[in-house]
Amino acid sequence: MSFDKKITRRAFIRAAAGGALASGLAVGAVSCGPKNSQEAADGTKAAADVKKIATQCQGCGANRCGIYVYVKNGLVWKVEGNPRTYNNAGTVCPRGHAYIKELYNPDRIKQPLKRTADGKYEPISWEQAFEEISTKLNLIIMDNGPQSVFWAQYPMANMPLAFRFMHALGSPNTITHGATCFTARNAAFNATCGALPDNDLKNSRYIILVGRNPAAGVKLQQIKDIADAKRHGARLVVLDPRHSETAVIADDWLAVKPATDLAFLLAMLNVIIEEGLYDHRFVEERTVGFDNLRDAIVTYPPEWAEKVCDIPKETIYRVAREFASYKPRALIHRGYHGGYGASYFNSFQTARTVAILNAIIGNYEAVGGLFMPLKPTLGELEKGGHPAPHIPEIEKADGAGVPGRYPAASYSDGIVQAIPELAISGKLKAGFVNHMNPIRTNPNPERVIAGYKKLELLVTIDCFMSETAAASHYVLPESFFLERDDHVDTVHSGPVGQLTVVAQVVKPMYDTKPLLDIITGLSKGLGIGKYFNFTMDELNALRLQPFGVSLEELKREGVVDVGPRWVEGFKPCKTPSGKIEFYSSQLASWGLDPMPGWQEPLVSPNPSDKNSFRLIHGKQAIHTHSMTANVPYLMQLSDRYDMIRLWINRQRAEAIGLKDGDTVVVESDIGKGYVKVRLTGGLHPSAVWMPSGYGIFSKYLKTAYGKGINYNDFLNTYFDPAVGHVMSNEIIVRVSKA
Amino acid sequence: MSAPVKSGKSPKWAMLIDTTKCVGCLACVAACHNQNELPVTEFFNRVEEQEFGRFPNYNRRFLPMQCQHCDNPPCVSVCPTGASYKRSDGIVAIDTQRCIGCKYCILSCPYKARTINREHGFVHKCGFCAVLLHNNALPACVGTCPTGVRVFGDLNDPNSEISNLAASKKVVQIGKDLNTKPSIYYIIG
Repeated sequence: MSFDKKITRRAFIRAAAGGALASGLAVGAVSCGPKNSQEAADGTKAAADVKKIATQCQGCGANRCGIYVYVKNGLVWKVEGNPRTYNNAGTVCPRGHAYIKELYNPDRIKQPLKRTADGKYEPISWEQAFEEISTKLNLIIMDNGPQSVFWAQYPMANMPLAFRFMHALGSPNTITHGATCFTARNAAFNATCGALPDNDLKNSRYIILVGRNPAAGVKLQQIKDIADAKRHGARLVVLDPRHSETAVIADDWLAVKPATDLAFLLAMLNVIIEEGLYDHRFVEERTVGFDNLRDAIVTYPPEWAEKVCDIPKETIYRVAREFASYKPRALIHRGYHGGYGASYFNSFQTARTVAILNAIIGNYEAVGGLFMPLKPTLGELEKGGHPAPHIPEIEKADGAGVPGRYPAASYSDGIVQAIPELAISGKLKAGFVNHMNPIRTNPNPERVIAGYKKLELLVTIDCFMSETAAASHYVLPESFFLERDDHVDTVHSGPVGQLTVVAQVVKPMYDTKPLLDIITGLSKGLGIGKYFNFTMDELNALRLQPFGVSLEELKREGVVDVGPRWVEGFKPCKTPSGKIEFYSSQLASWGLDPMPGWQEPLVSPNPSDKNSFRLIHGKQAIHTHSMTANVPYLMQLSDRYDMIRLWINRQRAEAIGLKDGDTVVVESDIGKGYVKVRLTGGLHPSAVWMPSGYGIFSKYLKTAYGKGINYNDFLNTYFDPAVGHVMSNEIIVRVSKA
Repeated sequence: MSAPVKSGKSPKWAMLIDTTKCVGCLACVAACHNQNELPVTEFFNRVEEQEFGRFPNYNRRFLPMQCQHCDNPPCVSVCPTGASYKRSDGIVAIDTQRCIGCKYCILSCPYKARTINREHGFVHKCGFCAVLLHNNALPACVGTCPTGVRVFGDLNDPNSEISNLAASKKVVQIGKDLNTKPSIYYIIG
């Protein structure tokens, strides 16, 4: 934070806070004088006014932890975890602690903004913003049809509003960040077992993580459950080119050559099938295509795999046999982004193999294996007399879910990195971007900027002036999560259904609005106002209607359990056969390989160039995507712990004359950048590893601007032929001393 | 969050840090920061990282560090004004009204656990979240840890988890040879 040195953060917050308490429960008052927080333990100072309010953290998208926010004398002070919410079980990650203070970040967008002819932004009223945006959008739709409009959003609980808005306009083009994150994994599990399962880590006896690092790509419940399982004797195997933060507590770190996890997994399948270690009964009763599978894996023995993936064959035999010996209380984590979420050309088949390896030991719906989370079905607006608009019949512009284009892609996630091309080709003319920053988080920023600049209308809805906001015609400030009521959510559902909700903690500090009010304001001038004639409380009451839970109760408790608890026992899959499909007739019908098999990576480092590396990336526990780089406290941690460094294998680095802390130049055919290196024994020699949350270039974000670089600066624009995912680790760079 | 176990007599607070469970996420550092309302650049705790071995026989360790609440605290001995003092419950505390900011204590602390407050000029540090203990809650760093690295409790309660752990052979105290007699025990894997 670039404060004047004479003004401390505390003094600033005191001065800046205009927000009064919205609601809340008074708790035991504690005293904390401005000069001395420790002596106050004796209760000698005047008691402060402290309130504790339950809500849901929005510091990342995956967890949305149940939290209690403490407000002291009207100012947001600290958070604690709600002990009953599944995803965090009473704990809070570093981002969650720090993110609440973003409320007081001076870089916040404080009123609607309009770009002027000279590229600056001028404040305008909400009325003017709604009127001008809807007028322009009406003209674009008149000339080009509603399918020329898109909405891109990180899929938080309020995403259904975006669907409703776009469908009311007649456009199918709602798009998430999924193709840059997890769609290869989801598509593979959908093809194999019909949906994405959860992991019963806590009760597992043998856990394999393939590129998954819940300690830094934080899933608090997962890392807690892994620690609990280990305390009860479970073994933890981490297959990762980098010694991840989860590998620190693992029994085995298997430093796989990046892009070859598939070879390791195919060889595991080979051993388990050839040695008859699988669950014969489960395979016979619950799966289809075992004969095809046996034929498909016969050419992948560990003797083959060790040459491909750099893990010795003895280790592959051992892990395969150990894994099978604990059946069904063993699992390969379903994975997330790292490993095979959207990383490689072979990620879809890698994820297929993970799904099949779990099934072959019969762990689906078994204690200590995989299970389908019990997500309750929320009540709908229709029940309150608010009919839903029809889903447009027209195909999505990005080809997601369209046979002949990207048949295995997710219809609801779309293919976000296609937007620039679609804008340049004129298929997309106008777009809304909400709580997402594609100009920083999509490959090849120059291309993304060129595409988004081609749009006749770009509107960004956000709290901060991201790169995407700074390229928009209009910027509409959403109220910070602590300032707004938002959707009842089911994200905490696992072994039991759970309802949580974002509840207002303080009143808005500036002229900002929650998303529903923004969409409602826009809808009037677009002739679709009839679809947005309800309040957030009405919407949430309807969502809660099936459960007999009142909004007041949910806000008071922060979380309410609903429905039955998970019980062991196989349930029919949402696949065509109702079984787990080793052979996928659906994939065959799309012209895709119905069986997993080895696929070479798209690109590989040049073996005769000692400066040539594959660039891979991953998360640090203190950052969420590009969203938290501007949080002063988190960036302070990045600096203090020297975390903005490129990891490089020590021997490889020394061979090209690098010392720890040297600055290197990193170059690909797309881009060039400078960064410090960390020499380590914790990385496969073929790769360099870059933390993913840095490289902010929006000059409005004063804390983060110009700090570090980002893997997207080096990534070509790819579309996996089946899923459309971004293949974000298919990057070859040259690294040399700057 | 459950309150620390209390025995009949006055407590003697202590903490165990099991480094074999620590994944270095820094949640404890961020929680401490909020609880104590620290300026952005001031910290009461930290997590050190250590690396071992060469690829692929490699490992690393995260080591959380903070004030060790020594029973023989050098910071108290060197304090010229009596601002640093040892409480009956084992907490090494600072009366910031009496602190003149001379920083002798910062130099004397072998754990580098003290920091100067730039706004007011006094020295401050981890106080085991005495405010929270007063209200029967655990210190902020303990409650937020996802892997249960930290165990906190009362050594005067012979049945407490911390009493059992502190007596175990697998625990060590950092800088024991300095005769500081820390109240923080470690399991080092």
